[in-house]
Amino acid sequence: MGQTQTQTEAANQPGQKKFLSGAQAIMQSLVEQGVDTIFGYPGGAIMPTYDALYDYQDRLKHILVRHEQGAGHAAQGYARMLNKAGVCMVTSGPGATNLITPIADAMLDSTPLVCIVGQVKGNLLGTDAFQECDLIGISMPVTKWNYQVLDANEIPEIMAKAFYIAETGRPGPVLIDITRTAQTDLMTVPFEYKPCTSIISYKPRVEPKAEHVEAAAKLINSAKRPYILAGHGILISGAEKELNDFVDKTGIPVATTLLGMSAMDADHPLYVGWPGMHGNYGANVLTNSCDVLIAIGMRFDDRITGDLSTYAKQAKVVHIEIDPSEVDKNVKADAPVVGDAKAALQALLPLVNKADHSEWRAEFKKYDDEEYEKITKKDLFHEGDKIKMGEAVNLLSNKTKGEAVVVTDVGQHQMITNRYYRFKKRNSIVTSGGAGTMGFALPAAFGAKVAVPEREVVAVIGDGGFQMTLQELGTIAQSGLPVKIIILNNNFLGMVRQWQQLFFENRYSFVELQNPDFITIAKGFGIAGHTVSDRAELSDSLDTLLNSDKPYLLEIVCEKEENVFPMVPAGGCVTSIRLE
Amino acid sequence: MLTNYTISIFTMNTVGLLNRITIIFTRRRVNIESLTVSETERKGVSRFTIVIKQENREFVEKLVRQIRKVTDVLAVFGYLDDEIVFNEIGLFKIATPLGGIPVDVKTINLDWNAKIVHFGLDYVVVEKNGSEEEIQEFYTYLKKWEILEYVKSGRVAVGKTEKGLVEFLPEEGNWEIV
Ligand SMILES: Cc1ncc(C[n+]2csc(CCOP(=O)(O)OP(=O)(O)O)c2C)c(N)n1
Ligand SMILES: [Mg+2]
Repeated sequence: MGQTQTQTEAANQPGQKKFLSGAQAIMQSLVEQGVDTIFGYPGGAIMPTYDALYDYQDRLKHILVRHEQGAGHAAQGYARMLNKAGVCMVTSGPGATNLITPIADAMLDSTPLVCIVGQVKGNLLGTDAFQECDLIGISMPVTKWNYQVLDANEIPEIMAKAFYIAETGRPGPVLIDITRTAQTDLMTVPFEYKPCTSIISYKPRVEPKAEHVEAAAKLINSAKRPYILAGHGILISGAEKELNDFVDKTGIPVATTLLGMSAMDADHPLYVGWPGMHGNYGANVLTNSCDVLIAIGMRFDDRITGDLSTYAKQAKVVHIEIDPSEVDKNVKADAPVVGDAKAALQALLPLVNKADHSEWRAEFKKYDDEEYEKITKKDLFHEGDKIKMGEAVNLLSNKTKGEAVVVTDVGQHQMITNRYYRFKKRNSIVTSGGAGTMGFALPAAFGAKVAVPEREVVAVIGDGGFQMTLQELGTIAQSGLPVKIIILNNNFLGMVRQWQQLFFENRYSFVELQNPDFITIAKGFGIAGHTVSDRAELSDSLDTLLNSDKPYLLEIVCEKEENVFPMVPAGGCVTSIRLE
Repeated sequence: MLTNYTISIFTMNTVGLLNRITIIFTRRRVNIESLTVSETERKGVSRFTIVIKQENREFVEKLVRQIRKVTDVLAVFGYLDDEIVFNEIGLFKIATPLGGIPVDVKTINLDWNAKIVHFGLDYVVVEKNGSEEEIQEFYTYLKKWEILEYVKSGRVAVGKTEKGLVEFLPEEGNWEIV
C-alpha cells in the first residue's frame, strides 16, 4: 500500500518518472472530475481499483451497497437530486449484470450515470474466463455510450468523455468496461486529466434556433386554449423559474408529467395536475380540447398519450425537446424547438404575449370539482376501518408542508403518492417512470439522501416492491442517514391486482402476498420502525417517522383492494378516462 | 408499396459500432437487405451503406434520427434510389468440364458487360457489376452452365448531390484526406 501511495504522489510531482497505474488513474480521474461519492460493490476483476481506492478514501466517499442493483438505483437517486452523474463501480460478470436493470431504468428516465465495471484480463477476453461476460454487448441497447478500456493510458480521456456524454444533452447512463490488465498496468505517460468539453460526433443542441423559437411564439400567441405539458426536462435543465415566469406571463394552464412533478408549485393557480394513465381528469380530457399543446422536455410516452390516433388531433403542437429523435416520434410537432428547456423558455419569454385565458382555465376547474367529488373526497375522507393510501399520503404531504423529497416505487402507491403529495419545492420527486422498476425506491431514496442530506427524504414503497431490494436497509443502517421509509402495505401486488379485477374478470392470478413482519426485518438491520393500522394512530405514527433522527420504517396497513382512479385504460383515448 | 431506402452513415472508426447501429434496426424489426462498411476518403471516417425496404417514409426518417443519436455517428442520410448512384458486385463460379458448353467470352464481355476474372482448370469465375436486377438477369443467362457458387455484395452508393463528404462532416474536424 505504502508504495502505491508514493506512486500517486510521485506522479503528481513534475519531473518524476513514476507513472500511475490504471487503477490509480481511475481514482485520480474521479477526483479531478469533482466526483465525491461512489456507490459500489467489489469483486475479482475490479479489485485493483478497490485497492487504489484504499488510498483515496479521504477524497472519495465509497458506499458499499448490498447488491449491485442497489448501487445503480442509489446512483440514480443521487444523480436526480444533483443533476450530475451518479457513479457506480462493480466487478465483472454477475456484478455487472446486476447493474443492468438500473442502467436500463436510467436510459429511459434520462438519468446520468457513469458505471465503472471490471472486466477479466485483456488476454482472457473471449475465452469464457471466470466471471467474463460481454458487458459491452449486453449494455449496448441500454446505454448512451459504452467503451471497453484495454490500455491504462486511455483512462483519463475515456473517463472525461464518459462524464461529458452522461451529463450533457439528454442525460443518460454510460458504462466503462475496464480490463483487469488496464487497471494493473502502469501508464506510460504522465497522468493528465482534461475535462471533456466537446466531441466531434456528438453535438447536443442547447440553444434553440431563433426561427424555431419565433414560430413557436407565433403559435402560442395565436392560441385561445393553450395547454402546457411540462416534463422531466424542466427539472433536468433547472428551468422551474423560467417555466413559472412563462406561465405567469401567458396565463397558460400547466400539467406536469410523472417525472416532471415538482416543476411547479402544486398550489399555483395555473397548475392543473398531471396527464396520463392515472393522472387527473381535466388534465387528460382537455388534451383533446386545447388548440395549442405546448410540450416542454417530455416525450409523449404511451402512458401519457394512450391511443395516438385520437390524441390531441385538434391541437397544433409546440414541442420543445433536447433530443431531436423525440420530435415527431409519437406526436407530430407543428413547431418543433430542439434545445434545452431552460434556454428555450428564456428565448420564448420576451416573444410571448401577456394573456389571461380565464375562461379556458375554468374548464379545468369543472373537471377538478367532479374528480374531487367522485374520487378525491372518498380517498381522503374515507370512513371504512382500513386506512386508504390516499389519506396517508395526504397527511404526509401536510406534515412535510410539501417540502420533502419523495421517492416512490412502482405500483398503486406510486400513483397515489403522485396524486396526493402536493409538491411545493422544485426537484423533489424521484420515481421510476419509463421502466417502472419495482425495487427502485429504497436504494434511490438512500442515494437521494446522500446527495441532499439536509432535505427530508421519504421513500413510499409497496409491500411487493420493498421485498425486491430490502437488503439495502443494511446500507442505510451502516450509513446512519435518516432515510424515512413508508411501506403502504395492501398485501397485494396491488396494481396488477387492480388490472386483473378490471380487465381480467377478477381472476386474481398470483398477486396475493404472504408478507414477512417488516418491522422485525428492519430491526434485524438495526432500523427502528412500527406498524400502524388504526386511522386514529396514523398522524402520531407519521410524526414518529418524521421526527426520527435515524432511519425509520413505518408500515401502514392499508385497505387491501383499493383501486386507483382516474384511469385511462391502456391504449385507450384520453377522453375514455374512468372515474370508477 | 415497399420502397428501397439506402442509408449512408458516416462514423468515427470505433470498435463495436456495427453492433450499436444494427440493433437500432433489429429492435424495430427492420430487415437489413444489405450492409457494407468501408473507410472513406477521409482519415478515421467509416461509411456504412445499409439498404432496407420500407413502406413508410416517415418511419425511415425516424430511424435516421435514432441512428444520428449514436454518439460516434457523424452524419446520416436516407436516400431513395433516384438520389444515388449505386452498384453491387456478383461473382459466379461456373463449371466448364471437358465436353461441356464453352463459355462465350465475347457475349459475356460485350452483351453483359461482365468479365472473366479467373480461369480454373474446369471452371471460370465471372464478375458482373451492376444493379441487383442486372446481376439477377445475368444469373438467368448463366443458368445454362452449372453454377458452382454465386455470391453478391451489398450495395455501395454515393449521393448525386454536388457536395463532397467533408461538407457534411462537423466543421471543426481535421478531415485529412487518406
Ligand atoms: C421489477 C418489476 N417486476 C414486475 C413489475 C410489474 N408490476 C407493476 S406494479 C406491480 C405490483 C406492485 O406491488 P406493490 O409493490 O405491493 O405495490 P402496490 O401496487 O400494491 O402499491 C407489479 C408486479 C414491475 N413493475 N417491476
Ligand atoms: Mg402492495
